[in-house]
Amino acid sequence: MDLALKDIRRHLGKFVATIAGVSMLLAIVLVMNGIYQGNIADGVWLIDNTATDLWVVERDRGGPFNEPSRMPRDSYKSVAATPGVARASPLVLYTAQREIDGASQQFTIIGYDVFGGLGGPGRIVRGRAIEAAHYEMLADEKLGLALGAKVTLGTHAYSVVGVTHGAVDAGGNPLVYLSLPDAQAVQFQKDNRALVAARAANLKRLESAGYTAAQAERLLPLLSAEGDTINAVLVRLAPGADAGAVAAHIRDWLYFNVYTGAQERTLMLEGRLRKMSAVLGLFRALLVLVSIVIMALIVYVLTIEKIRSIATLKLIGAPNWVIVRLILEQSLSLTLASFAVAYGLRELIVPVFPRTLTFLPGETAITFAVILVGGVIASLMAIWHALRTPPQLALGG
Amino acid sequence: MAVLEIDNVSKTFGQGELAVQALKPTSFNVERGELAALLGPSGSGKSTLLLAISLILEPTTGRIVVNGREIYNDGPTGIDERAFRRQNIGFIFQQHNLIPFLTVQENVALVLYLNGAGRRDAARRARELLGYLEIAHRADSLPANLSGGEQQRVAIGRALANEPRLVLADEPTAALDTERGTRVMALLRKIARERDSAVITVTHDHRMIEGFDTVYHLDDGRLTETTRAAAGA
Repeated sequence: MDLALKDIRRHLGKFVATIAGVSMLLAIVLVMNGIYQGNIADGVWLIDNTATDLWVVERDRGGPFNEPSRMPRDSYKSVAATPGVARASPLVLYTAQREIDGASQQFTIIGYDVFGGLGGPGRIVRGRAIEAAHYEMLADEKLGLALGAKVTLGTHAYSVVGVTHGAVDAGGNPLVYLSLPDAQAVQFQKDNRALVAARAANLKRLESAGYTAAQAERLLPLLSAEGDTINAVLVRLAPGADAGAVAAHIRDWLYFNVYTGAQERTLMLEGRLRKMSAVLGLFRALLVLVSIVIMALIVYVLTIEKIRSIATLKLIGAPNWVIVRLILEQSLSLTLASFAVAYGLRELIVPVFPRTLTFLPGETAITFAVILVGGVIASLMAIWHALRTPPQLALGG
Repeated sequence: MAVLEIDNVSKTFGQGELAVQALKPTSFNVERGELAALLGPSGSGKSTLLLAISLILEPTTGRIVVNGREIYNDGPTGIDERAFRRQNIGFIFQQHNLIPFLTVQENVALVLYLNGAGRRDAARRARELLGYLEIAHRADSLPANLSGGEQQRVAIGRALANEPRLVLADEPTAALDTERGTRVMALLRKIARERDSAVITVTHDHRMIEGFDTVYHLDDGRLTETTRAAAGA
């Protein structure tokens, strides 16, 4: 005779309400698992999906993801001339927030050499790659743009010629690919009034330095060359080349910092992602703890409610295992049902969640095991109380 | 043959100056088919004696034998208390104490199940017992839907399920009106006679005294008087 199930059937409403509450908490735990792993997956997506052997960035900088890195555009030519380098390509990347389709959207623009250079998108799910030097773009489907859509960035409109899937920056924002000059143009695009003001300020600086007005006019373009910088150079090694030796050569002779993909990954995981991962991990642990405490209280209350029945059971000779089973089975039923509902809720949440959720089966299994053990622990207080209940409690009025 | 032998049983709570003798040395026997009452006011020692017979409270001195097995002899005899209770003693409570989430039939079958009966066998025997107690028509009801008298009949059914030689009843009529109380007493008498069990009832309900074969009067922890009904009564 399964006393636990019979009690549950008798108090089904209360049990269902309890499951609803606990499952919502557990659903948050499961979603946070997804956010945690999604955060890591997003953080390293661009590193893992950029076909390069080495990342060359500004000296003494942890760029281009954790720290800004600025290099002259032509520096890629020096890198390309390094022994052991098969190909070197300039890369520009920066975050932008613009109005697209009437909504303000944040995304990262990647500017690369569209004519055979490194750093382009991996797989294009719809459309084609950029084939023209200007005014074509690729966008991740997360941005919600259709093929052929026109997007105005700065003073120009760009046509969406291809769509990628899952191409995101470290913050989970979609990627937009442009040709290198277009990306630079968008990045350094200035308002006309700002240009006029900057020009006037530069002229004033030159004149105050002793140049005549005519000399200052001639020198002015030299002070306005800020638009010709890049953020990194991507390197493809020649077959058989030693990555360490090439990196050392670039560091020693060209005065740049060089990272392999694995080093960039480590920089990302231990830099930008570490604190976020720690916060998410802490919240997950707290939520699991809160869930277990709530389950413990519920199981305890359910047990106290039937303490006279437990005393009666003891008096009529029920062995302790019958009482332990009654409590433990209810606790585990509560845990299992709550986890199952939470899992279902998680599946409902995934498609509408604004950030990437990545679920690892092993992690879900571990969470399940932790919750299951938590369910057993939750019942210990109630079991302890029940086993200490004297059978004579059943006697008397 | 005596189902219950109480031999010089006493119980003292506390020690030294704080010691309180709740039950002074008491001896009596209850035979098969006998309906006996432990009668006395509050604090007279009747509940202490009931707890000792139930293997819940260890007496300080004396010997108790239930159904031929010694359960105390100036100390515990190493018997498995719960197993002994579920196999040899039936309990009837003042507040019925039916398990609220089990049906009437399940409440009765529970004792059989605890004694190792299979699900079907337990259900069949529970049905038979409920028929004997004339409450089979409520077999699938929950206790909350039964009247006080019906609940007490189910509680009696549960007490009889393991076919005990000894039935202990704690104030079984206290929560019932006179009419229902009289019916319960008649039922207990019928059980004692037909099932050859000894039924010991703790009571202070003087309305029901006439129905007992033997009444043990307790006062201030002492057995003061034993009243036996006339033969054939």
